Amino acid sequence: MERNQMRRQLALMRQSFFDQGFLDEQFIQLEELQDDANPNFVEEVVTLYYRDSSRLILNIDQALERNPLDFNKLDNYMHQFKGSSTSIGAKKVKAECTQFREYCKAGNSEGCMRTFQQLKKEYAILKRKLEAYFQQARQAGPLETACRSRN
Amino acid sequence: MMQGNIWISTNLLGFAQSMTLVLRFQTRPSFGRAIFAHGSSSEPNSNSQFKGLKVILADDDDLNRTVTKKLLEKLGCHVTAVSSGFECLSALSAAENSFQIVLLDLHMPEMDGFEVALRIRKLRSQNWPLIIALTASAEEHVLERCLQIGISGVIRKPVLLQGMADELRRVL
Repeated sequence: MERNQMRRQLALMRQSFFDQGFLDEQFIQLEELQDDANPNFVEEVVTLYYRDSSRLILNIDQALERNPLDFNKLDNYMHQFKGSSTSIGAKKVKAECTQFREYCKAGNSEGCMRTFQQLKKEYAILKRKLEAYFQQARQAGPLETACRSRN
Repeated sequence: MMQGNIWISTNLLGFAQSMTLVLRFQTRPSFGRAIFAHGSSSEPNSNSQFKGLKVILADDDDLNRTVTKKLLEKLGCHVTAVSSGFECLSALSAAENSFQIVLLDLHMPEMDGFEVALRIRKLRSQNWPLIIALTASAEEHVLERCLQIGISGVIRKPVLLQGMADELRRVL
């Protein structure tokens, strides 16, 4: 059955996100909240994340253009960013957030800017992956049970 | 004042945090359960003791608010979600509302959770709702401060279903 094939692919795709460290347990928490009443909850939350955080990224980009850098402001933005990234289980993005905050605390401009470029990269990669995932999920049909084997 | 016990619900993995407080782990096969619960209408996690529990949730972050609200509803709670301390206080002051639990994000911009908690305590002497703080912080002084203000419980962010259920059960 083609559908089963698609579902299997979907499950593999999903598993790869965890295996490769793009997503962590918090994503599973979101999945656990999805139910008949909110069948697209995960996708909705992820969409919300990308909407909200794109604004934040803009703010941070602008703040990074100032001279000297306002580390306090940057740290506040990043605290927010980290919070939402954590909520959806964006593991690599979260790690970059943490790194960024370290550089803020140390007052390291170069470090901040470098880390932010890396963060944006990770952010974009995850976005692409998740978009592909949700698109495939929609094609595979409503019941996207993932047979996840936990190691 | 409240009993004066602050506990923290950590997530199931217990992401190594240096805490001197008691951590409570529940090793339940919740992941196994989740796979079967997918798409099914019967939710093994919904506890009857939380059914109809009136909760007001105050968190300025859209995403966190959405997720936490859903989480609470999953547990059977009736949730009013607001995005600021001011809205929270307004909702609590309204006579017809009687919330049993107030879930407060400690780090809101205009009025932080501590301030809100203090004001809640000043609102009225009867029907005090139980206040539970939401925080990403693991620092002890945060917890001490909660205790002093009369916050009954603390939940570490990111919030997990099990963590929320445990903490609610504990304070009720």
